[in-house]
Amino acid sequence: MKAALAPSSLTSLSYRTNSSSFRSSLLFRSPSSSASMTTTTTRGNVAVAAAATSTEALRKGIAEFYNETSGLWEEIWGDHMHHGFYDPDSSVQLSDSGHREAQIRMIEESLRFAGVTTDEEEEKNIKKIVDVGCGIGGSSRYLASKFGAESIGITLSPVQANRANDLAAAQSLAHKVSFQVADALDQPFEDGKFDLVWSMESGEHMPDKAKFVNELVRVVAPGGRIIIVTWCHRNLSAGEKALQPWEQNLLDKICKTFYLPAWCSTDDYVHLLQSHSLQDIKCADWSENVAPFWPAVIRTALTWKGLVSLLRSGMKSIKGALTMPLMIEGYKKGVIKFGIITCRKPL
Amino acid sequence: MRLIVHNMLSCNIRGVANKFPLRIEPKKIIVKEVDFNPDFLKHMIAKIDWKALVDGARSMGYTELPDHAPDTTTLESDESFLRKFHHSLLELHLEEGSLVCSETGRKFPVNKGIPNMLLHEDEV
Repeated sequence: MKAALAPSSLTSLSYRTNSSSFRSSLLFRSPSSSASMTTTTTRGNVAVAAAATSTEALRKGIAEFYNETSGLWEEIWGDHMHHGFYDPDSSVQLSDSGHREAQIRMIEESLRFAGVTTDEEEEKNIKKIVDVGCGIGGSSRYLASKFGAESIGITLSPVQANRANDLAAAQSLAHKVSFQVADALDQPFEDGKFDLVWSMESGEHMPDKAKFVNELVRVVAPGGRIIIVTWCHRNLSAGEKALQPWEQNLLDKICKTFYLPAWCSTDDYVHLLQSHSLQDIKCADWSENVAPFWPAVIRTALTWKGLVSLLRSGMKSIKGALTMPLMIEGYKKGVIKFGIITCRKPL
Repeated sequence: MRLIVHNMLSCNIRGVANKFPLRIEPKKIIVKEVDFNPDFLKHMIAKIDWKALVDGARSMGYTELPDHAPDTTTLESDESFLRKFHHSLLELHLEEGSLVCSETGRKFPVNKGIPNMLLHEDEV
């Protein structure tokens, strides 16, 4: 089920006719802002005028969302704020520790897919890592420890950055990891600094996918790898210009509660990466491997412990919890996909 | 914020040419001990902007670093240098203060050791 695109097939892929307009567009919705928004039902339409204030509002919304919900997530799920990786059709009656193991497996499978851990030489060369959208630093600490490297995490949430630092200190990793409040779309780093650029389930929050990819490509060092693991919508078929209205409606509802500005497809990421001179561009659909995740999260939320914590956390958390069935619906109906896209910058 | 991180941070305001390094204006500095790892240090030395490290250390009150890093052959035997490098790179923490862009004077605040590098609307 993993479809790795071989380099030769990628070079023969032609760009879709609307891909250039997509690259310059900002399809954007700000759930928390009352400022007037231009909403569209097709990707590729431009909403530039409203974008400026909306970007601020989105950033603020994301920061506040995570300021409020991070503690709850950590309490129930531990310090990795991402999906677990499961064998397809595996039994969903897994324990808490089973899910945590699955979250670690997600990291390892991503590294393996990207070709990082299949090459000993390459592993040794990883000395600087950037964790884009680092949450409370789960990936940063894991990767820094695994590779003996320095890992810098960036997040919009000061609460998360603080918690990430505290956890690093508690795990005696404070000398290897550090966290900044910074914007993934305007990263405070010079070009080509990082041997590994890691974006684990943060791409969903980026209002401008082209700018996001530009930054990832900018900060990766020659010879370094980019790993993007993200929620996407399904690839459009040839001739399709947009998702069906019912599909878009489903995504809109999810966008609102989770502070997601826009969805794109795995194909869109591949095309964006192709527009830079990168090697080994690969992608896969891991939707089946994450299928047990949301039902498990819901089950945890429905325990007494979960409910109490939810109620204590506040409205954003509660709304987030109520939106989870929509994620399951999205996956079941093939609208939402869990994608991985990786590549390497030439030396 | 440790100097190993400072050595990677630059000012990302649009149009600024002189982005790196950021000047440090400390308000509170703490020292946190870290295990000495010579292999890590020897690997890092090639990747560090030395002047930025020396200036950064000086602004944090540490003046023991030489103006130039020794070459790789002397590095093998010079443990005293490695210790100074280790201390300045990994053990000095800016807890409170600012990182200042040399060109625009813009201050990026550092609170509880965490720099806030978010840009304002007009800086993007």
